[in-house]
Amino acid sequence: MSVADGVFLLSSAVALAGALLAVGLRNIFHNILGFALAMLGVAGIFASLGSDFLAAVFVLVYVGAVAIAMVYAVMLSHPLDQPHRPRSVPKIAAAVLVAAGVAGALWNVLRQVAWPVAVPGADAGAAVTGRRFLTDYVLAFELISVLLVVAMMGAVMVARRSRPGRGTW
Amino acid sequence: MVNLPAVLGVATALFGIGLYGLLQRRSLVAMLIALELMLAAISINVIALTTLTGQDPSLGQVVVLIFVGVAAAEVAIALSLFVAIHRAAHDIDVEHLSELKG
Amino acid sequence: MSGPVLAALVAQAAPLAACVVILFWLRQRPGLAAGLAILSLTVTLGAAGYLVAAVAVPNTTVLATANWLPVAEGPGLAFGVLLDPLSTTMALVVAAVTLAVMVYSLGYMAGDPGFARYYGFLALFAWAMLGLVLASNLLQTLVFWELVGLASFLLIGFWFERPAPAAAARKAFIMTRVGDVGFLLGVLLLIRAAGNATIPDLIAAAGPGGSFAPGFTELVAALLLMGVIGKSAQGPLFTWLPDAMEGPTPVSALLHSATMVAAGVFLVARMHGLFAAAPEVMRFLLWLSVITAIAAATMAMVANDIKRVLAYSSISQLAYMLMGLAAGSVAAGFFHLVTHAGFKALLFLSAGIFIHHAHSNDMREIAGHQPGSQRAGVIGLLAGSLALAGVIPFAGYFSKEAVLAAMGEHAGTAVLALAYATAGLTAYYSFRMVFLTLRGGSAHSPAHDAGAHASGHGQGETAMAAPVLVLAALTLVLGWLGHWFAVRLSPGAEEHGALAFGAGPLTALSLAAAGIALAWLEYGRSGAPRTGFVERMPALRDFFATNWYLDRLYGATVVRLANALSRAARWNDQTVLDGAGDGFGAATVGGGRLLARLQSGYVQMYVSVLVAIMAALAAWLMGGGRLP
Repeated sequence: MSVADGVFLLSSAVALAGALLAVGLRNIFHNILGFALAMLGVAGIFASLGSDFLAAVFVLVYVGAVAIAMVYAVMLSHPLDQPHRPRSVPKIAAAVLVAAGVAGALWNVLRQVAWPVAVPGADAGAAVTGRRFLTDYVLAFELISVLLVVAMMGAVMVARRSRPGRGTW
Repeated sequence: MVNLPAVLGVATALFGIGLYGLLQRRSLVAMLIALELMLAAISINVIALTTLTGQDPSLGQVVVLIFVGVAAAEVAIALSLFVAIHRAAHDIDVEHLSELKG
Repeated sequence: MSGPVLAALVAQAAPLAACVVILFWLRQRPGLAAGLAILSLTVTLGAAGYLVAAVAVPNTTVLATANWLPVAEGPGLAFGVLLDPLSTTMALVVAAVTLAVMVYSLGYMAGDPGFARYYGFLALFAWAMLGLVLASNLLQTLVFWELVGLASFLLIGFWFERPAPAAAARKAFIMTRVGDVGFLLGVLLLIRAAGNATIPDLIAAAGPGGSFAPGFTELVAALLLMGVIGKSAQGPLFTWLPDAMEGPTPVSALLHSATMVAAGVFLVARMHGLFAAAPEVMRFLLWLSVITAIAAATMAMVANDIKRVLAYSSISQLAYMLMGLAAGSVAAGFFHLVTHAGFKALLFLSAGIFIHHAHSNDMREIAGHQPGSQRAGVIGLLAGSLALAGVIPFAGYFSKEAVLAAMGEHAGTAVLALAYATAGLTAYYSFRMVFLTLRGGSAHSPAHDAGAHASGHGQGETAMAAPVLVLAALTLVLGWLGHWFAVRLSPGAEEHGALAFGAGPLTALSLAAAGIALAWLEYGRSGAPRTGFVERMPALRDFFATNWYLDRLYGATVVRLANALSRAARWNDQTVLDGAGDGFGAATVGGGRLLARLQSGYVQMYVSVLVAIMAALAAWLMGGGRLP
C-alpha cells in the first residue's frame, strides 16, 4: 500500500464522515463544520490523485471562503433561538429512498463497466493547467472572471437593505 | 488501491449523502451545503476519469477549476438571497416559504 | 396631404389629446385641465373655420382615406375624412358650441370636485362628435356615433353619486341603443351589398342608376332611420331626453340641444341621397317628425322645470329639422340645425345662470330669486325665446320659414297645418317660460339672499355671461345666412326666399304673435292667473306631463315583456347552462385540486421528482433503451 493509497483511504473516510456530519446533525453550525471537514477530505482525494494544485484550491475556496461565508449567512439569517421542529419521518424515508436509489443505480453502473486501469499521471501539476487556461481555455477563464464579478455585485445588490424612499434597486 | 472504481465509489457515496441532505433538510443553508457536497462528488469524478484513465489530466483540472468558479458565484448569490429572504419572510425554512396553496 | 385634410386631422386630434392628457395626468389639476381643454377647442375652432373657408365652393368634396380593413374583392373599408360644406359647417358649429360651453363651465362648474374629469369628458365628446361629423365612411360614423353615446352617458351621469343622474344616464344609453341596433344592421347590410361603406359610394349606389334595388334602399333607409330616431329623440324613443336634464346644465346645452341630438339629423343630411331614394321612408319620417314636433310642444306647455321645457322644445325643433330634410331640402333642415344650435345653447346657458343663482330648476322658484338681477341671463333668455318662437329678426324665424317653405312645396296640407300649429305652440310655451321665470315672482321674492349670491359667484359670472352674450348676438346674425346655406348645400335648387312676405311667413308670424299674446294673458300681465288653459284641464295636463303616457306604456309593454324574457332566460341559465357550467366547473376544480398537489411550492418535492425522473431515464437508457 503506497502513500497515495493511504492518503486516499484516509481522505475518503474524512470526506464521507464530514458529509454525514454536514447533512445529519441538526445544528447548522455543526453542519458547516462537517462541510469544511468533507471538503478537506475531498482535497485529500485530489492530492492522492496527483492534483496537488486542485487540492490547495479546494481548501482555500471551500474551507477558507465558502464555509466562512456560510457562517456569516447563518448569523444574518437563521433564527437560532427557535426550537428545532420534530423531524418528519415520511420525509426522511422518502429522502433516503430517493438518495439510496440514485446511489445504488450509479453503483450498479460502476460495477458493470470494465474500467481501464492506470496509475495516477505524474504531470497534472499547476504549471500545465495554468498554461492551458491562458491558451486553449482563455475564453472560459475570462468568462469565469466576469461571472465572479457579476455574482459579487449581484450578491451585494440582493442582500443590501433597501433604503426607504428608494426602490429595491 | 487508488483505482477508478474505488474513487468513483467514494464519489457516488458522497453524491448520495448530498442528495439525501438536499431532500431532507429544511434550512436553505443546509440544502446549499448538501448541494456543494454533490458538486464536490462530481468534481472527484471528473478528476478521476481524466487522471486514472491516462487521458488528459490537466483538462480535468481546467474543468474542475471552472466548476469551482461557478460554485463560488453560486454560493455568493445563494447566501445573499437567503439573507434577503430572511429579511422579507423572517424565515428560511423551505417548508414555510411555499406560497402556493396546493 | 392637402391643407384641408391636415386641418381636419388637427381638429380631431386636439380634443383627443386634451382628453387623454386630462384624464390620465391632470385629474388633480382642475385649472390646467380646463385651460388645456379650452386651448384644444380653440385650435379645433380655428381648424374648422379654415375648413369652412377652404371647402366653400359648392359641390367640392375632399375625400381622403387610409385603408383600414382590406377586403378581398372591392375597395374594402377605409377610415378617412369627407369634407364638404355640410361636414365642415357642422364641425364649425360643434367646435363653437363646445368652446362656448367650456368657457361657460368655468363659472358654472367652479369648485366641483370632478372639475378636471368634467373637462376631460367634454373634450372626449368634442372628439367623438367631430369624428362623427367628418367621417368618410358609414362604419366610421357608427364608431364615433357610439363614442358620442358614451360621452353623453358619462356627462349625463356626471354626478353619478346621486341616483337620478345615474338612472337618467342609463336610460339615455339604453334607449338610444335600441335605435342603434337598427343603425348597425343597416350599416352591415350596406357593407354587404356595396363592398364598402364610403359615403359617396353608398349614395351613388342608392341614387338613380345605382346598383341598389329600390326595396333594398327603403329597407336600409328604414334601419338607419331607427338610429336617427333614437339619437335625435324622435318618435317613440324621445323620453330619455327630458330625463337627461339631470346632467349639468352646460352639458344639456352642449349635448341635448346643439350637437349630440343633432347627430341623428346630421346623419339624415349626410345620407340624404340615400334617404331621397327611399320615398316611403321619407313620407314616414315626415309624419313622424310632425307628430313628434306637436307632441313635444304640448309637453313643453305644462312642464314647470325650465330645463324640461327646453328639452321638449329641443325634441320639437329637432323634428322641425327632420321635417325639412324629409321634405327634400337639405339646406332648410341643416340651416335650422345651425340656428337651433345657437339659440338653444343660448337658452340652456341662460337657464343655467338662473339655476346657478336660485339653486333650483323650477321656474316658479327661480322667479322668487330676483331673476332680473341676472342681466346676461335675462338678455339670453329673451333673445333665445324670440328666436325659438320665430320672431322676425331672430335666427329661428328664418330657418323655420325655410323649413316651412320647403314643406309647402312637397308636403300635404294636413302635415303643413300641423307644422304651423306647432309653430304657434312653440311661441306659446317659450313665452310661458319667459313670463314664468322673469315675472310675477316678486310678490314672494326673498330679497335677502340675492346679495349673498352675487358676492359668492363674482368671477364665475363673467365666464358664464360672456358666452351667453356672444350667442345672443349670434342669434341676430345667423338668420341672415340662409342664402349661404342654400347655395352651398342645395346647389341648383331654387332659393326659398325667407324675406318674401307671402302667405306662409305671415301665417307663421301671426301664429307666433298669437302664442306670445296668449302666454302674456295667462302668465305675463299683472294679475295674470299664472295657470295655462291646459293646466285647467287635469286630464289633458296629466296626459302631456307624463310624456303622453309613453313611459307608462313602456312600463306596461316593453319592460314587462323584457322582464318575462329575462325570467325565461334566467331559467335557461340556471338549469341548462349553469348545470353544464357547474358540472364543468366542478370537474375543473377537482382536477385542479389534484394537480395542485404537484405544485405544492415545496422545493424539495420538486427535486425528488426531478431526480427520480432522471434516474428512471438513465436506467432506461442504460438498459438498452432507445430514444424513439
